[in-house]
Amino acid sequence: MTNQSCTNLDEEIFSEVLAEDFFQSDEEFISALGSAYTSLYGYMDGRMLSVQEVASDAVVVPTRGQDWDDGGHWRRLHQHLYTADDPEAGNAWSFCYSGINACNRLLFQFEQSGNADAAGFISELKVLRAMYYYWLLDVFGNVPIVERFDVPADFAPATTPRAEVYTFIETEVLDNIDALTKSVDGSVYARVHYYVAQALLAKLYLNAEVYTGTPQWDKALDAINEIVNSGIYDLEDNYFDNFKTENSASRENIFVIPYDQVFAGGFNIVARTLHYGSQATFNLTFQPWNGFCTVQEFYNSFDSLTDRRADMFIVGPQFAADGVTRVDDSGAEADDFDGTPLTFTPSINELGPNARRQAGARIGKYEFALGATNNLSNDFPVYRYGDILLMKAEVLWRQNPGSTEALDLVNEIRARAGAPEFATLDADLLLAERGREMAFETHRRTDLIRFGKYNDAWWEKDASDPTKNIFPIPRGQIDANKNLTQNPGY
Amino acid sequence: MSIKHKLTSIRMLLLTMLVIVTCGSVSAQTVTGKVTSSRDGAALAGATVLVQGTNTGAFTDENGEYTVNVSGDGVLIFRYVGHETLEEAVNGRSTINVTLQASEKTLDEVVVTGYGTQKAKEVTSAITSVKAEDFNGGNVNDPSQLLQGKVAGLAISRPGGNPNGGFNIRLRGLSTVGANTQPLIIIDGVPGADLSTVDPQDIASVDVLKDGSASAIYGTRGASGVILITTKKGIAGNANIDYNGYAAFESIDRVVDVLTADEYRNFGGGTDLGESTDWFDEITRTGLSNVHNVSLSGGTAQTSYRVSLNYRNIQGVAINTGFDQLNGRINLSQKALNDKLTIDLNLASTQRNSDFGFDQAFRYATIYNPTAPVRSTDPEFDQYDGYFQQVLFDYYNPVAILEQNTNEAKRKQIIANIRGTYELAEGLNFSMFYSQQRQNTIGGVYWDKNSFLTGADRNGLATRRSDDQFFQLFESTLNYNNTFGALNLDLLAGYSYQDFLNEGFGATGGDFLTDAFQFNSLGDAGDFNNGLGSVFSYKNSEKLIAFFGRVQGNIDDTYYFSASLRREGSSRFGTENQWGLFPGISAGVVLSNLFTVEGLDFMKLRAGYGVTGNRPNQSYISLLSFGQVGNFFFNGEFVPSYGPTGTNVNPDLKWETKSDISVGLDFSMMGYRLNGTIDFYQTTTNDLILPFTVPVPPNLTNTTIVNIGELTNSGLEFSLTYDAVDNDGFKWTPGINGTYYLGTNLVSLSNEDFNFGGFRLISNLGSPGQNNTPLVRVEEGASLGQLWGLTYEGINDDGTWRFTDLNGDGQINDEDESVIGNGLPVFQLGFNNTFQFGNFDLNFFFRGVFGHEMVNTFRAFYEAPSTISSYNILATSSDIAELTDSPRFSSLHVEDASFLKLDNATLGYTIPLAGDASFRKIRLYVAGQNLLTFTGYTGVDPEVRFQDGADPLAPGIDRRNTYFRSRTITVGVNLGLQ
Repeated sequence: MTNQSCTNLDEEIFSEVLAEDFFQSDEEFISALGSAYTSLYGYMDGRMLSVQEVASDAVVVPTRGQDWDDGGHWRRLHQHLYTADDPEAGNAWSFCYSGINACNRLLFQFEQSGNADAAGFISELKVLRAMYYYWLLDVFGNVPIVERFDVPADFAPATTPRAEVYTFIETEVLDNIDALTKSVDGSVYARVHYYVAQALLAKLYLNAEVYTGTPQWDKALDAINEIVNSGIYDLEDNYFDNFKTENSASRENIFVIPYDQVFAGGFNIVARTLHYGSQATFNLTFQPWNGFCTVQEFYNSFDSLTDRRADMFIVGPQFAADGVTRVDDSGAEADDFDGTPLTFTPSINELGPNARRQAGARIGKYEFALGATNNLSNDFPVYRYGDILLMKAEVLWRQNPGSTEALDLVNEIRARAGAPEFATLDADLLLAERGREMAFETHRRTDLIRFGKYNDAWWEKDASDPTKNIFPIPRGQIDANKNLTQNPGY
Repeated sequence: MSIKHKLTSIRMLLLTMLVIVTCGSVSAQTVTGKVTSSRDGAALAGATVLVQGTNTGAFTDENGEYTVNVSGDGVLIFRYVGHETLEEAVNGRSTINVTLQASEKTLDEVVVTGYGTQKAKEVTSAITSVKAEDFNGGNVNDPSQLLQGKVAGLAISRPGGNPNGGFNIRLRGLSTVGANTQPLIIIDGVPGADLSTVDPQDIASVDVLKDGSASAIYGTRGASGVILITTKKGIAGNANIDYNGYAAFESIDRVVDVLTADEYRNFGGGTDLGESTDWFDEITRTGLSNVHNVSLSGGTAQTSYRVSLNYRNIQGVAINTGFDQLNGRINLSQKALNDKLTIDLNLASTQRNSDFGFDQAFRYATIYNPTAPVRSTDPEFDQYDGYFQQVLFDYYNPVAILEQNTNEAKRKQIIANIRGTYELAEGLNFSMFYSQQRQNTIGGVYWDKNSFLTGADRNGLATRRSDDQFFQLFESTLNYNNTFGALNLDLLAGYSYQDFLNEGFGATGGDFLTDAFQFNSLGDAGDFNNGLGSVFSYKNSEKLIAFFGRVQGNIDDTYYFSASLRREGSSRFGTENQWGLFPGISAGVVLSNLFTVEGLDFMKLRAGYGVTGNRPNQSYISLLSFGQVGNFFFNGEFVPSYGPTGTNVNPDLKWETKSDISVGLDFSMMGYRLNGTIDFYQTTTNDLILPFTVPVPPNLTNTTIVNIGELTNSGLEFSLTYDAVDNDGFKWTPGINGTYYLGTNLVSLSNEDFNFGGFRLISNLGSPGQNNTPLVRVEEGASLGQLWGLTYEGINDDGTWRFTDLNGDGQINDEDESVIGNGLPVFQLGFNNTFQFGNFDLNFFFRGVFGHEMVNTFRAFYEAPSTISSYNILATSSDIAELTDSPRFSSLHVEDASFLKLDNATLGYTIPLAGDASFRKIRLYVAGQNLLTFTGYTGVDPEVRFQDGADPLAPGIDRRNTYFRSRTITVGVNLGLQ
């Protein structure tokens, strides 16, 4: 017992590295930068998927007897009866702000480090942060803006009105876009670069009327044309090449979340949508959860005879991986149409509580590789060129309903899917086409709102109040920060 | 030889001479006299006066007087409870008045306090001492089992009969929610020693420090109470060899009441697979255990030793569960330097091999179709090794789980202590103590390639992990004891240093060519090539340093006082807040020395106040450290991404402090036959250390460990022992203790920075289908343990649930939820009876806990008749047969779980031995545990669930993985050789 240790209570660390000892090498800077991107992995793990799709007319999570009741929040999401206590809004909130926090922290640490290389990352981080804020703008509308990491512990930021959040995002992107690289190669795959920033601007301007009351079609078109005219992107011949397991080579990918079953888990739609018995169909390494499926009307909006995109649904008799043996659903309800052999039916008998376990067309848009884990390796396209072309068509149509260029762009998309050409365009056709092309890519709720259809009645849902167009600020956040103001209607 | 002995010898010599002289004139005569007590000279009514060597005798009347016929050379034996027995030769006298010496045995018993001992009568705090003879009997494998129900205010609970399961120990209710809720265990002076390092057979006594004035000397870790365990030591004298051994038979006492195969077929709606299987039978057995303990002890005036070896082979009631354990202990004491120096040495080592099994099997046994076969020869099931399986959500053959897979661990523990005490001067002792404990656990789990639950999907899955925990303790104390006139003073000063180091590593990987490797050749796992394998290692440390002092005194054996102070620091706090100050003060006055009350032999009033602390459960809270947070796709490949890990940094975190007031009364009445204690306590805990949800932004993550809020807790305890009968050959000693919990109140969970928001709903019921269904409401300003939900009213005509529309808005939603129970008990009772008749001894012990409610999650999931389409359902489903709705939690599933158990009964027979036999003692016994349970609770075990997982804010939830309740019959022998 030495004198020194007699009252020495310094903590000894072994398997941790202190923040102050980090940032010693380039590798460490890159590793640190990564933590702003790894936050994205929650995107399809329910975080954005649920609020953007289950609240829309495309996806439904029926209560199947014992399964998926969960206090009724899935039904409330579908019926637009969500409350500040329901988990999905809280999940989306935490998802966005954990990303924003990571960006703020890195901006602070990179600036503190004085490292020249680190400075190169600052614009990238600011635009990535703007992307997280864009999702908050879209989902919650009025949110607090926090730009700095070094705030006092009791800092309680107030809610910023939606229009100001819009301006903040626009300014951040415009201030930093020119510092971003325009040379798009493997080194910036799944990272923010110039065209990702343009795609973000395009989304922001396309929905500007919803966010601020003032449309920005011209600005939207400028941003879209920056991407289209770059010549970097093109439509894939096969629509489904965008969604297969090895889809990183797709020329439509503008910004993806690079999911991977080993390194970047979180893309678990395979578990959410498939039936327990489907494990045998895909030799999955886990038992799926039998939840998410599509609403029959949405399924019917695809012409399965001509539109190849209809193959994104899994319906009908299910077979084991050998393609021959029927999969048995030994827990089939007595009144199931086809009894024990597992058969997915597009029609769903009810939203709950006793939706049949085999009911509902399943979401098979993203390839399920044989032997997949519940973390798919398919990269998820956040911004895809097909979307950009439809956005361009919509902007042109909104500027001039008779625009032939708009019609041609829509028909280009339809032709790729093998669907017959449209002769004219109208709002319903455009929205339906976006529905088919962009299904389950987390754009449906935003599109419905922009086309004024979000509050309509649909299957098992009454007409909803426009206050439901933005989600409530989660109760935990309101409780923890007295400066937050709840959105109207909650 | 003592003076008393000398007198007796002389008297015997005289007596012998008298007998010789008067031997010719022996004749029967009548003797009368009066029996009084030495205590106050009062007459003793009902005392036994027995003629030695005969069955004749008499009782004294209400004046203490007796008449008996005895021969002139006879001997009378005077006996009265609470007094020393007296033998008196008649010697021809016709009047013999005697005074029986009142025994103050219980008041002179040694009580172990922190860093010292006191006599019971000197104690000024709430301390309960339990000696080995009062321990629970039967198949006891965990030291805490010895005390279950024996100590007022001490609740010890283990739902179900898992042989590898730990006990939840809670003293005087709950005084912390984010830190350690279990009392500090101190074994032979080593704070934080692991209970499993000591075999129950080696324990001499357990002392429970219940209030802050007593436990403040342990400062930081005393907030949830302190339990001091003293192991048996050698005693100077003959060498003794003792053997204690028993065999135990453990069988299922209660399982979940589900439909049998025939009932299932008749119920309708289920799929009849044609067989009849009792799944509980299939996964259980009668567990046969055997336990052996051999000890050698003895010593001289300078050296004493006790060496023991304990072997336990325990089978659980679930197949493929249990453990075997070998424990050895050496306790050695040596005096030197003219007896001024004493060296004490303890060395103990335990090796334990455990088979844990898989608790999921209990859940699946409950819901598995009773018409399904266990195994099938259909080739379809070859892929599952012939076990029958069906593809349903969360549905697996429970026999397959337990038989195909392995879940085991080997744990080695070694603890070594050495203490040197030197008498510097009369009454002045200096002591140095060093202790080291190391525990290494290596565990392995293997899921078979054909195991459907998991394993088949990974082509075999193996996990191996090794954890090493080490601590060392250095303490040095100076003690001075002296008497100055009427004042006796005992002074203590000390320093304590303890450091902890935890490290370990592990790996998980699947994809094996063969099941032959199990988890023993992880390198063969294909997963380490395809990236699905995972490895980890860790290492962390902690330091605790303390200075402490205490003054204890007594004036005239009437006024007692004690004051202690500990200044303690922990490395887990930020540098500004590491040190805390923990005072304790108490005083007592022997009222019976100040005035006399008829019938009262002794009465002491005492009161104490103490402050104790709690530190957080983890290190490095004040440091911002980086760890891997996933992988980042950079330049075409994934690189590890680093960012802050865990909770937000909080360098301002400080000690959680608990202050408590305790008032108690100890008394003895009826000539020391009735001894009792009454205690009242009130505690207030401030600056609770809690993981708190903080806003994001501005915080990095949504959890910060903060000091927040206030918790109060109070209760009333009593214990009574009564020497009801103590006649020749028959003795009955009943004892009773009770605790009335006056309530645990969550005064606040907010501070100036963070607002809890009044209430929060926690503890999700879970999958299938009842996620987002909180069961517990945590409310500021209300009592802890509120169960929360809709109120069940009945079933509508259309077969749907009917709940109470509390707010009358015509809708049933969250706003109609209310408090529908409380998971914490109101009253706890222990009732012990010890009988001795001749060579037989009988003990039976009732234990009851009352007033707590419990969420029966089995019913919440599997009672609704509609679930039969996929699962077996509970027998109680017939009560709600008209329900067609899916399961939904409500007050229907909250049940009163009060219970009274015949916890323990032991019948022993001691074979009478001639004085020169080579055996000192031969006792045979049979014991039963968990023999009878009286309860209205329909679940498996009504024992209190003090926490949900690790969350003490959510008591009262009976989750589905509960191990079955078991009953044990033990047959054993105690042998003493000399």
